[in-house]
Amino acid sequence: MLTWLTHTVNGLAYGSLLFLVASGLTITFGLLRTVNLAHGAFYLLGGYLAYDLASDGTDYWIALALAVLAAAAMGTVVQRAFLHYVAGRELPQIVLTLGIAYIIGDQILANYGGDPVAPQTPPGLEGPVTIGDWTFPKFRLVMIGVAIAVAVFAGALLRFTPTGAKVRAAVDDEEIARAVGIRVPLIFLLVFGFGTGLAAFAGVWGGAFTSLSPDSGFDMLLLALIVVVVGGLGSIGGALLAAFAVGLIDQYGKVWFPEWALFTLYASVAALLAVRPRGLFGKAVTR
Amino acid sequence: MTTPTSTKPDTRPAAAAAPGRSAPRRWAPGAGVLVAVALLMFVPAATDSFYTFVATRMLLLGLLATAFNAVFGFGGMSSLGHAAFFGIGGYAVGIGVTRWDWSPGTVLAAALAAGALAGAVFGLACLRVRGIYLLLLTLALAQALFGLAFYQTEWTGGDNGIPNIPRDGLPAAVREGDGYYRLTLVVVVLCVALLWMYQRSPLGMSVVGTRESESRMSAAGYRPGALRTVAFAVSGAFSAVAGVLEVYLQGSVSTASMSWQISADVLVYAILGGARHFFGPFLGAVAVTGLEVWVSTYTDRWMTVLGVVYVVTALFLADGVLGRAASLLRLARTKSGAGSGTSAEART
Repeated sequence: MLTWLTHTVNGLAYGSLLFLVASGLTITFGLLRTVNLAHGAFYLLGGYLAYDLASDGTDYWIALALAVLAAAAMGTVVQRAFLHYVAGRELPQIVLTLGIAYIIGDQILANYGGDPVAPQTPPGLEGPVTIGDWTFPKFRLVMIGVAIAVAVFAGALLRFTPTGAKVRAAVDDEEIARAVGIRVPLIFLLVFGFGTGLAAFAGVWGGAFTSLSPDSGFDMLLLALIVVVVGGLGSIGGALLAAFAVGLIDQYGKVWFPEWALFTLYASVAALLAVRPRGLFGKAVTR
Repeated sequence: MTTPTSTKPDTRPAAAAAPGRSAPRRWAPGAGVLVAVALLMFVPAATDSFYTFVATRMLLLGLLATAFNAVFGFGGMSSLGHAAFFGIGGYAVGIGVTRWDWSPGTVLAAALAAGALAGAVFGLACLRVRGIYLLLLTLALAQALFGLAFYQTEWTGGDNGIPNIPRDGLPAAVREGDGYYRLTLVVVVLCVALLWMYQRSPLGMSVVGTRESESRMSAAGYRPGALRTVAFAVSGAFSAVAGVLEVYLQGSVSTASMSWQISADVLVYAILGGARHFFGPFLGAVAVTGLEVWVSTYTDRWMTVLGVVYVVTALFLADGVLGRAASLLRLARTKSGAGSGTSAEART
């Protein structure tokens, strides 16, 4: 019984990590409709930067903040210098961001080598928690809480603040939004930076969760894409639910039928997409 | 609906058969291709074994890109799952030869059948999706097959793959190096010719029709869904042949043949070369493979260079090299046409 509880909470914790990665993608891809396949690269960038700074003796939380800011800044640069020119054209966006992901990934490989590194668990979150007979790593439990907090925070930001209203207006009808004086390009730039910053944050914590290697960026990207699409483009609550579902399917799949692990995950996603392309909570596609 | 390049209808195959052309002009391209193939037969004599290996890979990746374009450029569907078909061909060799001692002919037939079947499944699954959703759905399907290759270790050897696949079934003359290059050349030319004929056939042309306007095609009595599925099946079958050639060349097969990077690479080959032109993707595959060999002699950072190639392609070569060349040519013709007063050819 307790083993099952552990498997379930493990699945939820992994799902929380996926949601943290996917939250940035929900915003850039789901809202801005900018296909950013370099999202995994920003995840890596954040993770490795924080790891590098922290192992040089910088305070953990300062290293975390610096890594997130650096990735956010780099994200805005990529948006302004490249993605801006292929706005609204999906195929060039895909090729472009893949190219950027290759460049960042290869530079990380050159600087840090291909072996996985294990960044430290955030200070104060090490060790287990014991509730009755049941013990579980504290960090993983906190992860679930953080994921829900990020979901609530990002959702509230979009729904209740003036900035959020501007973002929604810019996304829904760019021309009218411009006409009423919203600076759409600036909004897009900032939101994109926010998304890559979230990816970097996920990288710092995800690295402590699963370890970091140059390959893990693309694994995370693929899973995050699934979460975003299954949840429905632009739906943060949908992404959170989808992330938990993917985490649980992955965890139970590994326990029950290890030989079919990846297959069950991707095949169920493909089946869902084939019959319901807009995902669980997405708006109907109007094109 | 996302189409890879401009939305201007492509009339090239029809134009090639247009009446009013003089006989020499009609035969010149065919003769040119024959001469080129004959010259390519002598590549091994002119280079060493390494470059023969590279040339063999160029040919088979060119076939993969050409087959991919049956869906992408001519079908208007951006698939990101073609690594699945390539890998299916590869595992057909690996599993068939090591388990059941299949002859190359049996392997080829099995790969064609399995590739076509998988293509049909992909096509059916994609009936309701377009654009980015189609891209992600094909990616998910290909990753599901990748998962099988990775975890069904008893059949596939898992991450290590199947090493030391014997080539004993092949005739001795074409088993190694130069001979295998010539075999690849023959198979690739044959497959590309078949794809060319398919693309110019009423079937292939109606697939192009669904790319241009699905609603008009269905109003005219065609069934766009069936046509899209056929395009995927044809593409899958010939992509699997490329996988077969690759694995006989390497002597081993692993999950790398199924990895989604292959799907991304082949997409870039097609865009870079020019997806609206039949030979564009082939050209793109040859160019990128050649660049890889050339760059790798100077630096280990090939992936960075490849990333730059991707970025440049996305920003500046949306119509591909051939698309650029064609528009420059048109521009030049328009100018000279305006000068001499013949506007018939400058119409486009």
